Amino acid sequence: MKAKLKVASIILALVAITIIGYFAGCGEQRLLTSVGPTEKEEVKKQAAKDMKTVLRRRVPGDKQITNILRTKDESGISSADEEVLEESKVIFNDEHIYYDRFGRDVDGDRLSLHERKTGSGGIFSNSSSRPKITNGMYRIPAGGRKPNYSPSSRPHADGISLQKEKQLYADLRHVSADEIWVIAKAEVAVTVRDPETPGCGAMLAKLPEEEKEIPLPLKHTDVRGRISGYIATVEVTQQFHNPYDKKIEAVYVFPLPQNAAVNEFIMVIGERRIRGIIRERKEAERIYQQARSQGHVASLLTQERPNIFTQKVANIEPGKQIDINIKYFNTLAYVDGWYEFVFPMVVGPRFNPPGFTDGVGAVGRGKGGISGQKTEVQYLKPGERSGHDISLAVDINAGVAVEKITCSNHAITKTFKTKENVAVKLSSLDTIPNKDFVLRYKVTGKRVKSALVTHRDKRGGFFTLMLYPPENLSHLKRAPMEMIFVLDCSGSMSGKPIAKAKDAIRRALRKLEPDDTFQIIRFSNNASQLGPKPVPVTKDSIRKGLEYVDSLRGSGGTMMIEGIKAALDFEHDPHRFRLVSFMTDGYIGNETQILAAVHERLGESRIFSFGVGSSVNRYLLDRMAKLGRGAVAYIGLDDSAGEVVDLYYDRISHPALADVIIDWGDMQVTDVYPRHIPDLFVGRPVIITGRFSGEANTIRVSGSVGDLTQELSIGVDLDDSSHPGIACVWARKKIEDLANQAAYDQETDLPGQIKQVALNYSLMSAYTAFVAVDSSHKTAGDHGITVVVPVPVPEGVRYDTTVQY
Amino acid sequence: MKKTMLIILLSLCVIVPVLARQSDPEYPDDQPKVRFAPLHVFIDPASKSLAAFQFELKTISGQIKIVGVEGSAHAAFNEAPYYDPAALANDRIIIAAFNTASDLPETRLRIATIHLQIIGDAEPEYELDLTIAADADGKEIPAEITFETGE
Repeated sequence: MKAKLKVASIILALVAITIIGYFAGCGEQRLLTSVGPTEKEEVKKQAAKDMKTVLRRRVPGDKQITNILRTKDESGISSADEEVLEESKVIFNDEHIYYDRFGRDVDGDRLSLHERKTGSGGIFSNSSSRPKITNGMYRIPAGGRKPNYSPSSRPHADGISLQKEKQLYADLRHVSADEIWVIAKAEVAVTVRDPETPGCGAMLAKLPEEEKEIPLPLKHTDVRGRISGYIATVEVTQQFHNPYDKKIEAVYVFPLPQNAAVNEFIMVIGERRIRGIIRERKEAERIYQQARSQGHVASLLTQERPNIFTQKVANIEPGKQIDINIKYFNTLAYVDGWYEFVFPMVVGPRFNPPGFTDGVGAVGRGKGGISGQKTEVQYLKPGERSGHDISLAVDINAGVAVEKITCSNHAITKTFKTKENVAVKLSSLDTIPNKDFVLRYKVTGKRVKSALVTHRDKRGGFFTLMLYPPENLSHLKRAPMEMIFVLDCSGSMSGKPIAKAKDAIRRALRKLEPDDTFQIIRFSNNASQLGPKPVPVTKDSIRKGLEYVDSLRGSGGTMMIEGIKAALDFEHDPHRFRLVSFMTDGYIGNETQILAAVHERLGESRIFSFGVGSSVNRYLLDRMAKLGRGAVAYIGLDDSAGEVVDLYYDRISHPALADVIIDWGDMQVTDVYPRHIPDLFVGRPVIITGRFSGEANTIRVSGSVGDLTQELSIGVDLDDSSHPGIACVWARKKIEDLANQAAYDQETDLPGQIKQVALNYSLMSAYTAFVAVDSSHKTAGDHGITVVVPVPVPEGVRYDTTVQY
Repeated sequence: MKKTMLIILLSLCVIVPVLARQSDPEYPDDQPKVRFAPLHVFIDPASKSLAAFQFELKTISGQIKIVGVEGSAHAAFNEAPYYDPAALANDRIIIAAFNTASDLPETRLRIATIHLQIIGDAEPEYELDLTIAADADGKEIPAEITFETGE
């Protein structure tokens, strides 16, 4: 018996040793590589995750909920972090509960009466789904009562569940205890970091009333643009510095124009300039991580969307500065007689539909990780001021005399060097990067001629052609229209943006002609519309339409897919030309899904997208218009919505030149983008780019307007028109075309094709990245702590309804 | 029987931790060691003014990845030189630069530094060819190109 016990105890001891050995094996690996304090902190937090309970303490009468994180350790429960959150109370107002885009209850921006009473007043709901709570909360009254609903069965504004909610609320109100403990459980893994500790994913931000200098790793951004004809060459310098006594890695998510062909990346360390290398994205990320962990100064530029990029700079030593130079080319838009140069300064907060993780999360400063999205932007709270500022200068060389220059969002200074050459500078009083810089200039002459620009190098010939519609189209009248207005009523549109959009729709409604029909569709978490069928234009119907527009408010999420379905699945009137006008800021993270839906459902419709706001998602709006064979227009918060709509009506009040065919003459042309030349609307040229060989003399363009055929000729002089950026512009257009195709074609190896084009032309894309490593110097110690650069929300956008915090 | 059991258990004690090390997907052992090192390229223009150059670098043995290209300390070639992205795809790099300013170098100088990631323990062997060196008039000059590796 004793012997058996001895054997059993030996076996048990060995099993215990084996188990310990197993974990020791893993642990050793972890310790070997987990060298940074941040990582150690992460490991500790991860280990404690399952033992962590988030408790929310509600004090009756208090306007706040105290969020207490308690972590169990050997000694029992110890308080780890404590923070005060805005109250997210349940609201019982007219039997309805209102949520912001994250499912939080909000007490601002009530939905209209029409919306609240679904089905009444001629409103037809397209979706019966209610907004879901993503950060669901189990509410437990004092005494530990079991919750009577779960996050996935959030109470609806109907009978039984509402009764329960009311009962619960009543319970909460009449509890006599000092505290009510509410246990909350997040759906996504949340890593709440201490925002006041440098290196924990957030930086300190300067409050206006504070005197002390508060540091940020991104000190300054300098932008220098040169415009030649309709092509801009832009150099952006980001100055990162380290004001701490430990090494840091700076991470900054920033925007560039959606058509920027980024082809140069230089890391500047003092006087030394290291050119970054374009690599396949995963390879570049791997190289960066290895350099970072070995203590080398390194930088990595990745593309999250065609207009959103992430910059990482590793191993910035205390007191040191590292600059990053980025260079890109892009073609300017030419709209209704004006050239437009745009430089976006901040990424707007995106809405990501439930279950989507490949989006762009919008989180509060120091709340990294809570959105569950692949990319995250951290935003400063209202009243917080980023130390980061911006300078911007643009040199316009128009080739012809510049008549007028305007900049609606920013204060600028203009210096006319000659009639054709103007230097524009952003005023030193307007350096907060919280809205798009939009510079418009008009050149002399009634209209600009179609123009060809070329470039030849050892790779061959490249061209861009700005093609203008024939002038005589403006004498012809349009056919009857079926106008569909789609208004984004999500939380990010609340306030000024939705007011602008509503102004635009009102103006457009008043300009409709008797033979036209119209429809108004709104969407946020779901979609609803004015009526079930196209509404014929009468005085009475216009009045009803205006009343409907007046009743709309901004609130909830941006389920744009609902708006797309409602607008494009809508019964088509075959006797009228259908135009669908989207009025939105485009603040969504699932752009690919939306573009695929547009492609799938477009049919005979044409899409005109109107970007409304100070820093809208131009990538989405441009692509929607391109896929929808229409056009895009932007209404800034200081722009006149009426003027924009008048221009839009001018454009559509004439027929477009359709079925455009180009005879290139002696030029042998290949790889032309866009593949299908869109309709040419009056005042809206189209930029065509391609490769060529041979010589050129005259290009002939023809198209149809109803039963008529129209023709125009463009004289070409190849020696007189050269620009080195044309090859990059062409490659960027090719990538854009392949990416558009990728939205609906999953079979072809389009990512592989995009990657190859990007590598051959040294261009940024979703599948390539720039990496630069200083191999000649190794900094001491580990890789330091990671610091994310927080940014302000765009001007006119509400933090509380758009940012997760 | 007892002995067999003990041997099996002792073996497990040894094998399991080793397997644990190897099965950690985040740190696979089949990843070769990497390190970063510069390769400094020098041109001696033999008392002529150096205004333009082009050279090609490739490895004869060993595996490298180019992770940056740095310009010269001399003001005339301080700008990070351009490389041919198409050549990079074939594990070689072609670098070129020119400057027609008046203050051009005439003695041996470091013309560029190629930042490398070296994969594996073996020291790579390089082949460096000067395609051309020219003066401000575009005339070819008899320059010599050399390199030095650094750590």
